Amino acid sequence: MNKVAAGVAMGVTAMSLGFSTTAVAADTEWAGFVENATYVRDGVGLSKFRNTAQAEFSKQLETDSWDNVSINGTLRATYDGVYDLNSDEFSKDAQANYLGENWHGQDTSTAILAPGTPFPCDNDPQLCNNLDGYMDQSEDDARYPDFNDQLDFIREFYISADKQLDSGTILNLSFGKQQVVWGKTDLFRVLDVINPVDYSRHNIYDELEDIRIPQWMLTAEWRMGPDQVFDDSNFSLVWNIDKFRPSNLGTCGQPYAILDGGCFFASRINGGGPYVINDVVDYDWSLRNSQFGAKWEGVYGDTTFSLNALHYRQQLPSIHALGGPGSNFGLFDIHFPEVNLLGGSIDYYSMDQDAVWRLEVAYTEGEELARDTDGYKETDMLRYVVGFDKNIIIPALGTSSAFLLSTQLFGEHILDHERDMPNKKDNWIATLLFKGFYMNNRLSPQIIIAHDFAAEATAIAPSIDYLINDNWKINAAFNIKEGGKKTFPWSVAGGAAAGGQTEPLARFLNGPIGVANQEDEFQLTLRYSF
Amino acid sequence: MFNKTFISLALTTAVSASAMAATEQDVQNTFNPYKNGVPTHQGLSAGMIINQGNVDQFKEIVDPAMYDFIKSGDTEIKVGATSSFDLNNSYVEATRKYMNDVRLGDKVGEISGSVAGRPFPQEPSMDDPRAGEKLAWNFKYGYNWGDSAAIWPFYWTFRDMNSGKAERTLKFNFNFLNFTHRTQQEPAPAITPNPSNLFRATYLQVLEPFDVKNTQLLIQRFEDDLKRDNAYLYLGFQRRVRRLSTGQVTDAFLGSDIMIEDFEGYNGRISDNKWTYKGTRNMLLPMYNHNDMPLDADIHQDDDGYQMISFGGKGGCFQNVTWQLRKVYQLEGEPLDPNHPISKRQHFIDAQTFTIPRTVTYDRNGSIWKSFSIGQAHPDHHLPQNKGSGVSIDDSFTMIDMQAQHCTTGQFKGIIDPELTPESKMTVQNLRASGR
Repeated sequence: MNKVAAGVAMGVTAMSLGFSTTAVAADTEWAGFVENATYVRDGVGLSKFRNTAQAEFSKQLETDSWDNVSINGTLRATYDGVYDLNSDEFSKDAQANYLGENWHGQDTSTAILAPGTPFPCDNDPQLCNNLDGYMDQSEDDARYPDFNDQLDFIREFYISADKQLDSGTILNLSFGKQQVVWGKTDLFRVLDVINPVDYSRHNIYDELEDIRIPQWMLTAEWRMGPDQVFDDSNFSLVWNIDKFRPSNLGTCGQPYAILDGGCFFASRINGGGPYVINDVVDYDWSLRNSQFGAKWEGVYGDTTFSLNALHYRQQLPSIHALGGPGSNFGLFDIHFPEVNLLGGSIDYYSMDQDAVWRLEVAYTEGEELARDTDGYKETDMLRYVVGFDKNIIIPALGTSSAFLLSTQLFGEHILDHERDMPNKKDNWIATLLFKGFYMNNRLSPQIIIAHDFAAEATAIAPSIDYLINDNWKINAAFNIKEGGKKTFPWSVAGGAAAGGQTEPLARFLNGPIGVANQEDEFQLTLRYSF
Repeated sequence: MFNKTFISLALTTAVSASAMAATEQDVQNTFNPYKNGVPTHQGLSAGMIINQGNVDQFKEIVDPAMYDFIKSGDTEIKVGATSSFDLNNSYVEATRKYMNDVRLGDKVGEISGSVAGRPFPQEPSMDDPRAGEKLAWNFKYGYNWGDSAAIWPFYWTFRDMNSGKAERTLKFNFNFLNFTHRTQQEPAPAITPNPSNLFRATYLQVLEPFDVKNTQLLIQRFEDDLKRDNAYLYLGFQRRVRRLSTGQVTDAFLGSDIMIEDFEGYNGRISDNKWTYKGTRNMLLPMYNHNDMPLDADIHQDDDGYQMISFGGKGGCFQNVTWQLRKVYQLEGEPLDPNHPISKRQHFIDAQTFTIPRTVTYDRNGSIWKSFSIGQAHPDHHLPQNKGSGVSIDDSFTMIDMQAQHCTTGQFKGIIDPELTPESKMTVQNLRASGR
């Protein structure tokens, strides 16, 4: 347990004890599930054999001075048996023939980078040391991902309390390990960036609820309710006091490593040469390094809106090239720069269309993008999403229930774009969700399609949920990816920096779908809830 | 010529104005229909059973869906003594105070002068082309649940009518709050500030089972009936609020046999339907004293010792309650939207309380589709805190899909307690805060 977590845990306990001096505790409510998720990948075999037990609890306390006082928690224990059952493909012994083997063909003529070392902390202590706490999970960490130094088996643990103010408004304080959700999008995030994300669980496809990495945070919400202008108004502050954690991209040797980043970071120049990653900058805990934000949201007529401001650290790595051809070529340091975000969202219900439009925008300052001939560059970024949700009755499909049609278009605009940046100046990803309901909602087929325009890559994920009863649920799904460019020059600028070499920054051009283009799967999940 | 027309118009106006004016006698009649005795029907007596063998004798006093059920042996009706469900005196007084201020506008859905109380206490007339609309307004501005109330908890069970198998049981909390048209709880007659001029809000939270736990629904209805509700859905696993489109309002809510639009008998706009008054009759309605009914000790037990109404009959789809012979207004509502999944509802409105204990729904082809019974419990024979509230307590329901042979049954613990439904519960922020 790190010092911060221990301190915060003590704080939560002290806070709860403070309340409980006059408190009457109601019964603790428990709920949860046990689940097996078995995924099989085309040509690879078993890619997931995840067994999860999750329990959620909530305990209400009654005090004299505060209302709605509760202690809430979510505990999760996971064992993924894929490392034991398919160790040829996924384990500390799983060796690749070349870097990027899982998503493109081989170009050996000018190979510079060796394939990544799977689970470097099991196989290569020096590399493990280089990575310095980032992307260095051991095989056991992957096997039991919830049990680590950050106590990730505590998914959430916080105390929350309301104070009725004289003005008739409410002040809420919540303190502890939490997920704080600001955005309204599915699959990809625009404003929902307070918690980092664990992509090693299942790339972009798991519910964010299951892959956000909870952080120790203090939140204060001033719930003003209606006034003369707004039907609802709320101002909130969030202070992330946890030690900075980036998103987990998946360590080399895991079945899901977004952008294949884990293997890139675990590779060497020319086989026995220096490691690609020279160093990962660690940000010690300090007040200066904590992250904070503010949000004002409300309801005005048919519109709900929010205005958001956040100071945080970039959760995806900024790769600083240490040199060019001739000196330190191919060596990188990893940084996580400070970012300021300003953004907002609007939901508008259109009576004429009987549909809901969603707009979400985030403008950031301080993010860094890689360049392959000149290191990296700080650039402002604009991200946005337009969403459209509509419920449609389609009698021809044999049900009287409405189908949900939800589409989203994500855009990313790089303001200070350079020609040698692997990301295009503008790119878009479109998503479509079409979900139907049969047998009193117990049988629910759906299809999700996502298309990355720059990568020319598409994911198609049809699935069906069957609720056998209140306890048992089974889900069967396919997840098929198409497209994604297979080869790239080293230099995305098309220069002669490294001839026809196919690594390393091409992964960014290929995007999370394109890099997963050989991860076609059949997935079966069985859950018992209580 | 001009003068004749003018005189004729003036006379017409005078006649209709005098026909519209409500009197103290109208107030007495509408709230005390049994002052001079309860209705009777030949051969009917309290305590008797109406079943397959004798239902033809009582065909006049049961609705067509119930007749079919009884005739086919799916259920029986146990007859109880008719009792007066006296509404809260504050509501009666408000009716008296504002009754002659109320006017319908030119368009269906337009009304003026209705501050609180029953807008149209006069007896409906078949000669009045807008009588149906007035009945609909009397329901909308009725004393359903009073100024605020909670159903804590509320169980919905999905049942296969043929096998009797209970497929799913959802556990909810429900809250209702009137922002305007308040008569009893402070502040009255309206809560301020109220910038969008909301009339009423309904909030629900799913407590069980796990797959839908923390799903929440907030419906905000405007004073302006021509404006569509603002409806918000919070999905627990997404941790975010989604605006609802009306497609979902007429959809099977969470897979049940009920649309959001069916809540409380009819949960939509007056302006969404063409309303027709089809007559006044004496009819059996599921209205009873909760504490005297056979109760279900299995579904719910708590420290209060409160137990919920039990179910029986075919598939367990029928309340085990007594039915009273009562004065009923038959009101037909035909959705104006040609894409609406139903063609019409026949509402059988209790004349005294203006609750809707019985509704029969017809599909687009005009065939009977669903049968909705909302059991009304007398507040003086229910939870101790409901005694004297003058609220006819929604206390049990069954929505039967007669075509699919499937039903959703509801078991309630309805509580009249303003503390359970603060205004802050009826906000979008509350969805986020409660759903974390």
